[in-house]
Amino acid sequence: MQAYLLNLGVLISIYSILAITLNFIMGYAGIFSLAHAVFFGVGAYTGALVAMSLSASIFVTVPIAMVVAGVLSLALALPALRVRGEYFVAASLGLQVLAVTVFSEWKSVTGGIGGLIGIPPVDLVGYQIYRPAAFFPLSLAVLVLVLVATRLLVHSSFGRSLTAIRDSESAAESFGKNVPLIKTISVVISAALAAIAGVLYAHYLAFINVESFTLDTSVLVMAMVIIGGTGTAAGPVVGAALLLLLPGLLSYMSFLPQTQIGAIQQIIYGLGMAVLMIFRPGGLVGRSKAKARTRPKDPDTEAQAPASRPAEAAR
Amino acid sequence: MKKARFASAVAAATLCIAVAGSAIGSAHAEDLKIGALFPLSGPNSAYGDIFASGANLAAQHVNADNMLGGRLTIEYEDSQALPQPAVVGMTKLIEVSQVPYVLSAFTGVSKAISTLAQRSETVAVNGGGVGPDLAKLGPYFWNVIPLANLEVRAMVPYLADQGLKKVALVYVDDPLGQSILDELKATLPDVGGELVDAMSVPTNTQNFSGIAAKVRSAGADVVYIASYGAQQVQIAKQLRDNGVEAQFASYSGFSVPEAMKLPEADGLLFTTQAVDYTSSDPVTKRFVTDYEASHHRMPSAYVANYYNAVRLFALLAHALEEKGEPVTGANLLAQRKATKSFDLVGGTVSFQDNGTLLAPIQVNRVEKGAPVALTTVSIQ
Amino acid sequence: MLWLQLTFTGLQVGALYALTAAGFSLIFGATRVFHFAHGAAFVLAAYVFYWAETSGLGMVAGIVLAALAAMAFGVAMDRLVYAPIQRHEGSFFTVFVASFGIGIAVQNVLGMVFGRSFVTISTGLSRSVKLMDGVYVSPLAWIAVACAGLFFVALLLFLNRTHVGMALRALADSPELIRAYGLDPRRLSSIAFALGSLLVVPSAVITALGSGLNPTLGHHVMLISLAATIVGGIGSIGGALVAGFILGLAENLALVVFESQWTEAVTFAILFLVILLRPAGLFGRHATR
Repeated sequence: MQAYLLNLGVLISIYSILAITLNFIMGYAGIFSLAHAVFFGVGAYTGALVAMSLSASIFVTVPIAMVVAGVLSLALALPALRVRGEYFVAASLGLQVLAVTVFSEWKSVTGGIGGLIGIPPVDLVGYQIYRPAAFFPLSLAVLVLVLVATRLLVHSSFGRSLTAIRDSESAAESFGKNVPLIKTISVVISAALAAIAGVLYAHYLAFINVESFTLDTSVLVMAMVIIGGTGTAAGPVVGAALLLLLPGLLSYMSFLPQTQIGAIQQIIYGLGMAVLMIFRPGGLVGRSKAKARTRPKDPDTEAQAPASRPAEAAR
Repeated sequence: MKKARFASAVAAATLCIAVAGSAIGSAHAEDLKIGALFPLSGPNSAYGDIFASGANLAAQHVNADNMLGGRLTIEYEDSQALPQPAVVGMTKLIEVSQVPYVLSAFTGVSKAISTLAQRSETVAVNGGGVGPDLAKLGPYFWNVIPLANLEVRAMVPYLADQGLKKVALVYVDDPLGQSILDELKATLPDVGGELVDAMSVPTNTQNFSGIAAKVRSAGADVVYIASYGAQQVQIAKQLRDNGVEAQFASYSGFSVPEAMKLPEADGLLFTTQAVDYTSSDPVTKRFVTDYEASHHRMPSAYVANYYNAVRLFALLAHALEEKGEPVTGANLLAQRKATKSFDLVGGTVSFQDNGTLLAPIQVNRVEKGAPVALTTVSIQ
Repeated sequence: MLWLQLTFTGLQVGALYALTAAGFSLIFGATRVFHFAHGAAFVLAAYVFYWAETSGLGMVAGIVLAALAAMAFGVAMDRLVYAPIQRHEGSFFTVFVASFGIGIAVQNVLGMVFGRSFVTISTGLSRSVKLMDGVYVSPLAWIAVACAGLFFVALLLFLNRTHVGMALRALADSPELIRAYGLDPRRLSSIAFALGSLLVVPSAVITALGSGLNPTLGHHVMLISLAATIVGGIGSIGGALVAGFILGLAENLALVVFESQWTEAVTFAILFLVILLRPAGLFGRHATR
């Protein structure tokens, strides 16, 4: 029982890291990426390969994975500089699909659909960490580190530049901010931190394959951020915990027919997503409606949130 | 205030888990529970239903015979045929329900849970996946199904005898498909055959009219289809629709009713583990009779395999109970190694040292939506 | 001959893509709702048609019922899901997550009702006829292309010649104008959803007859519709239609050179490049910045 909760705890920590790093570009830079699972995957594959061939020490695997993911994230930064709104979403979607193809076809490196098996446990100054009881504190510690790091960044002058760009790119530009550079750096940071989650994931499951890094994962992480509350500190963690606990809780409902339980879980999960969005569109820990209304509006914000237009039409 | 609400939500969730956990913990001590990780949702869930029908029938029989001290129940977890849900489900089965024995299916799922099975000394038994990698997943991973490399070795000589020597392969791009490709490449030259073209398809593709055009231009005598479930059926249908006239061949993945019902599948040749359903041994007879009575159709090899997987557990657990030993994964493994052969559906079988069942393969043909056995090949 | 065959196949596939994409583009262009559940409307229509066919109601009744189901689903989504979210000023992504959630729910409900495996309707229409040596075309392919043409012309006439159509085109740009003319934007939005969802019906029916159905089909349909809408240029229904054909052809002609697992990558590489090089799409009316 305890190990089961610890196991869930590890997964929640890992997905929280992903949600926090996605929230960093989504909530603070206004970059809505559907390709976050790509960097999760890049981190996982890099971590696994380094651990299997070089060293399983966390101080070796994590930095290498971060660098690789950071460099590759420039592919995402490129469209982020050119387009916004739904166009960027589509571009990130394209990147996600391309990455999945590469993950499943570059068999000599990723093992294809068969994946990589037998990934060694995390090596932390000589200790082998794989049991949930030991892995949970580790993943929790990493989560806290990532959380603190992103908090510090958000509250630094860099973070203020980010929010300035999110709210109005042209205004930020006129204040002399180097918009392309700031955007690129934020994407690189987000991807590099997401790679840490990938490394942990690879070590913990001891098996990875492309199916963990598909568009569904990207959407799941995005749902965690939005359900929790975009642009909030606690939101992504709450969202990750909720979406990972939900299937677990549903499987305890023993009155449901056993072979339909999977489908019923998925239906509740899907409807739950929709209902939450209808009644709490700002997320569980999101800003209250009144505050959101008073946010200054300028044409730039409009372009970023095109869906708000028919809302006006409806009023 | 918001924080308080969040905290209370977490508290409620924890409470739910705790209550549910204790409810399970207080079940009758002498009752035995095994786990099953089947796809119950998602594109491969049709398999989950079939696997479960075999496993449930076996549990029913075991309980009717009072083979064990208490009642045998099966706890299902949804793997969605994907690694991560499988690992979560496996952890729950091991840590919460503490089952000693888990039914597994699908190559990706099996590989993902094999490490957990070893670490926790829980037996995982596969009766559906046929990727040859499955033979190499350690002592706690067993296969009650002969693997795909054996199936190809049985099919290729049969095709050659029929004068079907130019083979085109349409295979799913995963370890199973890859292994069938390798095995065809290796075995075809021995019988004077030739692999004229091999086209891989991604696991999620649904439209194969383009593939059909390529198959046609390859000019093969026989098209070997190696995929799963819905996709496999679509490949067969769309190849025929798009003017491919060649003979079709496939492996045991085709032995699901949905696939055989398809008009386009008529005449298709496929291999399965040889199960003589007409056999007069009481185990097989009872299995076939009761399955037909409740499902109104002949059981497939999958049904038999998962029936066998559960029956195997009951046989081993029965022996352990006789000896007064607890039914744990480690004891089950020791007991299996100590037992020479088992009376299962389809006859008396034995295990190889690597935990994989050695069984003869039969070649079948689909006729009017049902399989007809043509010949049985023994492979060493 | 292979490439000629693949061109024909590409045209058939492209016609189906073009119609669903045009539907998505119409909805997105008029309401700016990222209607991810468009794929669910497709699968729903296809299964309703399948149900009508197998229970002996006949093909015409099947098509009518499928059309009603798709339109009812679209309008219900607009009224019950999107409208409340928009009243709260939900962002683009709030709508996306809600829509995605409904898509998952629909897929699993259909799986529970109709079974999760593949179903197909046996018909002679999907059987290919030899056109020339090495080139086979099924009657369905002609029907698909004809449908695409027919619906496109009808849609153009509707959007350019009727008041409602013209109002729909103006909805996204200036809802104030719509109100000034005494039209109800809410009602127009529902019309956009009804029409956009109606456009999935031909491809849903043809898919049910041709390549067969399974509840997870919606995902792919949705991705392609989205890609075609962006490649064609947001707000340009004609663009979406042409882009649908381009993607269908590209996917199939890519088979001459690549293994089939790369074909989806080809589609999305096109999407990625178009966004980088021509952000407004091939036929877009205006650039994003």
